[in-house]
Amino acid sequence: MDKRLLYYINWGLLAYVLILYLLGVGNLYSASSTRLGSGFAVADFYQKQLIWGVCGIGGMLLAMTFDYRQLRNLAWPFFLASLVLLCLVPLVGKKVYGATRWLSLGFMSIQPSEVAKLAVLLLAARLLAKEQRPLGWKDFLSVLAVGLVPSALIITQPDLGTTLMLMLILAGMILFRGLRGHILKICLVSLPCIAPLMWFVGMHDYQRQRILTFLDPGIDPRGSGYHILQSRIAIGSGQLWGKGFKEGTQSQLRFLPERHSDFAVAVFGEEWGFVGCLCLVTLFCLFLLSIFSTAVQAKDRFGSILVVGIFFYFFWQIFINISMVLGLMPVVGIPLPFISYGGSATLLNFTLLGIVLNVSMRRFMFKS
Amino acid sequence: MTDAKPNALTAAIQNKRLRAWLSIQVESERYQPPRYGIVLLQVLVGILFFVLVTRLWYLQVHSGGEFARQAQENRLRLERIDAPRGRILDMKGKVLADNRTTYGLSLIREDCADIPATLARIAEWAGVPLNQVTESYNQNRLRVKPFEPLLMITDIPFDKVARIESERNSWPGVEVKVRSKRSYPEKEFFAHVLGYVAEVNDRELARDPSLAMGDMVGKLGLEMELESRLRGQKGQYSLEVDAHGRTLWKTLKKEPQSGEEVRLSLDIALQRAGWNALGEEAGCIVVMEPDSGKLRALITSPAYDNNLFTSGISQKDWDLLRNNKRYPLQNRVIQSPYPPGSVWKLIMASLFLERGVSPRESVYCPGEIKLGNQIFRCWKRGGHGSVNLESALVNSCDVYFYLMAERQGIDRIERFAKACGFGSPTGIDLPHEASGLVPSREWKWRRLGRPWVRGETYNVSIGQGTLLVTPIQMAVFVSALLNGGDILKPQLVDDAVPETKARVPAKPETLKFVVNAMRKTAAQGTARVVSRPDADMGGKTGTAQVVKLKLAAGDRRLRTSEMEYSQRDHAWIATWGTKNDKTYVVVVMVEHGGGGSSVAGPIAAKMYDHLFGARRETPKPAEPEPAAPQPGDRPD
Repeated sequence: MDKRLLYYINWGLLAYVLILYLLGVGNLYSASSTRLGSGFAVADFYQKQLIWGVCGIGGMLLAMTFDYRQLRNLAWPFFLASLVLLCLVPLVGKKVYGATRWLSLGFMSIQPSEVAKLAVLLLAARLLAKEQRPLGWKDFLSVLAVGLVPSALIITQPDLGTTLMLMLILAGMILFRGLRGHILKICLVSLPCIAPLMWFVGMHDYQRQRILTFLDPGIDPRGSGYHILQSRIAIGSGQLWGKGFKEGTQSQLRFLPERHSDFAVAVFGEEWGFVGCLCLVTLFCLFLLSIFSTAVQAKDRFGSILVVGIFFYFFWQIFINISMVLGLMPVVGIPLPFISYGGSATLLNFTLLGIVLNVSMRRFMFKS
Repeated sequence: MTDAKPNALTAAIQNKRLRAWLSIQVESERYQPPRYGIVLLQVLVGILFFVLVTRLWYLQVHSGGEFARQAQENRLRLERIDAPRGRILDMKGKVLADNRTTYGLSLIREDCADIPATLARIAEWAGVPLNQVTESYNQNRLRVKPFEPLLMITDIPFDKVARIESERNSWPGVEVKVRSKRSYPEKEFFAHVLGYVAEVNDRELARDPSLAMGDMVGKLGLEMELESRLRGQKGQYSLEVDAHGRTLWKTLKKEPQSGEEVRLSLDIALQRAGWNALGEEAGCIVVMEPDSGKLRALITSPAYDNNLFTSGISQKDWDLLRNNKRYPLQNRVIQSPYPPGSVWKLIMASLFLERGVSPRESVYCPGEIKLGNQIFRCWKRGGHGSVNLESALVNSCDVYFYLMAERQGIDRIERFAKACGFGSPTGIDLPHEASGLVPSREWKWRRLGRPWVRGETYNVSIGQGTLLVTPIQMAVFVSALLNGGDILKPQLVDDAVPETKARVPAKPETLKFVVNAMRKTAAQGTARVVSRPDADMGGKTGTAQVVKLKLAAGDRRLRTSEMEYSQRDHAWIATWGTKNDKTYVVVVMVEHGGGGSSVAGPIAAKMYDHLFGARRETPKPAEPEPAAPQPGDRPD
C-alpha cells in the first residue's frame, strides 16, 4: 500500500464522525438510564453501541484497504446477493413488533434492507458514472429500476422508512448527476400525482395515522400523538442551556418513547439545550460538507457519484430524523446516524464512511 | 485502462477472466463534477442548517419556558394527607365523637400473581360472598392504576386483621389499609346534637375547593356547624412520578394540621338521665344555664344511631328511619314547633305587667266566658273565683288571661312575643332550626285571607290556636326571666362566649314578679312536682291541646288514655331551680304525653335529681292536688 495514502486520509472528516459517535454513546448512556426510587438503572444500550462502534471502525478500515474502484466491479453481484437476502426475509425472517425485517444468523441478526441500501448505492453509482452527459430516458429508468426492485421487497416487510430512504438517495444522486430538462419537468409534474396513490395504496393504516397525528398531534395525545407531544416537551424544556447530563426528566422518567433509538436526539436536546443542539447540528453540517468536498475532489465520476450517494444517505437521515423529533415531519422510523442506537446501522454508517475516506485518500492517485 | 494496483485479494486470484473483470476502469478524461450538482449539495446543507436551527430556536428558546412547565407538570404531583378530624368531648372530657382506626384490605394488581385465587382468599378472610368481591373488583379495577392499591374490603374487625397479617406473605399484592373512621360511642344519646359525617358530595365539592373526592364532611348537627374547626388542614406530599405514574420519591411538603378538639357544654350523664326519664315517650328535654346560655343537656327521643351514616346508610336502614311514625330523625328541641299551652302565660303575664296591669287587679273567673256564641272555658270547671295576676299564673286560670289579653289586643301580644324571641330561630349552632309561629293579623290575612277575630286572641293568650313554639325558644325565654332579660343564644360549645341576641322589653320588676310567680307555682301551684326542700325551684306547666277540646258523654273531658295517640295533648313544663348558686332552666316537652304536671313534671324532677342530687324526701307526690281537680280536669 502506498504510504502517501495515509497522508491523504481526511482526518477532519474522521474527527467529526468520532466526535458525533462519542456524543451518541454518551447520550445513549443517559437515555438508557432510568431513574428509580433511589438511584438509576442503566440498560446496556450504550455498551452494545460501543461494541458495534468497534465493529464499525473495523468495517471502516476494511473499506479503506482496497481501491474503491473495485467496488464498481462488485456492484452487480452485491446487488443480486442483497435481493436474495431480501427474498429470504419473508420466508425465514424474525418478526419484531409486527414487522419482519430481520434475518437471524444465530449469533447475530442482520437487516437485509441495510445491505440493500449499500448495494443500491454501488449499483446506482456504477450506472450513473457511465457518461458525462445529463441522463436520458434509458439511463434514468434503469437507475429507477435499481431502486424500485429492492424497494418493492422492503415495503412489504413493511418498512416504509427504508423504502423512502432508498428512493430519496437515488433521487439525490440523479439530481446531482443531472437529468435532461424534459425528464425533470415530467418528474416534477407526476410526483404530485403519485403521492395520493401512495396514500391510498402504498400505506398502512398506522402510517396514515402517523401523518394525521403529525398534522394535528392533539387528535390523540395519549396514543399516536404522544410521541410528538412528549418529544416536543423534551426538546423544548431543555431551553437555552439544557438540564444537564442525565438530568433530563422527560427521558429519565420514561415519558419519552423510543428515547435510545429514533428519539435519541430529543434526549440530547433536553439535556444540552439549544446550545448543545446548535453544536450538534453544526457538527453534522461540517460532516456533510466534508463528504461533499470529497465528492467534488474525487478523481473519477464513479467515486464522486458514490460519495454523493453516501452524502444523501447521511443527509436524508439527519434531516428526516431531526425534523421528526422537532415535530416538523411525521414520525417515520429513521434513526439519526451515530446518535441513535442501532447495530447494523452503526456498522453500515462506519463502512460507508470508510468508502468516503477511501475515495478521499485516493483523490491524488492519478494526478500525474 | 491498466491494472494499477491489484490488492492482495486480486493477486490471490489466478483466474484470468476474473482478473479482467476485477480490473479497475479509469476514465481517461479529467473528471469535473457537474456544477449544478455542487450548488445543489451546498444549498441542501444550508437548508438543513437553517431549518433545524430555526426550529430549535423556536422550541427551546422561544417556547422553552412553556415546555419546561409542561415537563414539570409531567413529573411532579401533589398528594394529599388527610388531617385527623378533631374529637368532640362532653363537658367532662368524655369522648362523644372519635376517630376509630379501621382496617381495610386492598389489592395491588400488578403484584398479584393469581387474581381469582386472591379474590377468593379475600372473600374468605372478610367473610363476604365471593361474587360480591369479584363484582367490586371488576367495577373499580379500571379506576386504579395497576400498581396502586385497589380497596376491596373496608371494615375488618381487628382480630381478623391479625390473622390476615400472618397469612398475607403468601398472598402477594394484598395489603392491609389503615383508615380513620368517625365513630360516635354514645349513638342515640347525642345523634341529634352531633349529627354525622359522610362522604362529600358534588355540591359540597364545588363549594369548597379544599375538599377532594372521598373526604368526609359534617352533614348534620355540630359535625356540620363546627366543620371549619373540626376539619383541620390537609398536609401535602410532593412526589415525582414517571411516565407510568409510579412514584419515585415523596417528600412531605406540608404537615397535616389536625382539627380542633371541641369540648361541649353538654354532660353525658345528664343526657343519659334525661333519655332514661323520657323512657318510651316521644319528647325532648333542654337543660340550660340561664346566665351563659350554655346547654347542659339537649335530649330528643326517639333518636337514631348516627354511626349508621358514616359509611353510607343502607337503603333498608334509611327507609326504616324515614318511615318511622315516631320520627326519630326529628330533633324535637329545635325542629318541632308545638303549641305551648299554659307555659305561654309566662309571656302573657310579662306583657300585662309591662302594659301597666296591676298585680292587685282581680278578675272573676266563673269557669267559662262567652264570646258571641262561642264559649271559652277555664280548665277548672266552676272557675277560680276572684283571681289576680299571681294567682292566675299559679293556678293557671284561663279566664284571667282571656280577659286581659283582649284588653291588650293581638298586635301588642305579637310584638311582645316576637321581641322575646318567639317566631324566630334562637340561633343555636345546629342546622335546620324551626322558627315557630307567632300569629298576627297580617299573617292570618296573608295565610287564610280572613281577618283576625277576637276568639283567636283568647286562644293565643293561653298558648293555643295557631301559636307554635319550640322547646329551645321556651328555654331561652325562661333563662331571660332569670338573667335579667337577656335573650341569649343557646350554646353547645363549652368555651363559647355568652351572646345576647336581644333583650326582653320588660322592667326588672316585671321579670322578678314572673319568676316569683313560678316559684309559687312550684311551691303550691300546678308545678309542685318539681319542688324540693333543698333548692329554690320555680315552674310552669302546660297542656297543649292538639285538637279542639272534645267532650265525651256528659260534660266530661276524655282521659288521655282514652284518646288516640295523635290527638293526645302535648305535655309541657318550663322550670328553673337554684341550689348552691347554680341555676338551671329545665324545659320538658312530651309529645302527645297528656298533662303537663303529670307527665312532663316528673321528668323535669328527675333532671333536677341529677343536677342537685336525689331528693332526701319525696314531696308528697301521691297527695291529691290541693285544687282538687275534678276527674278529667287537668290543671296546667
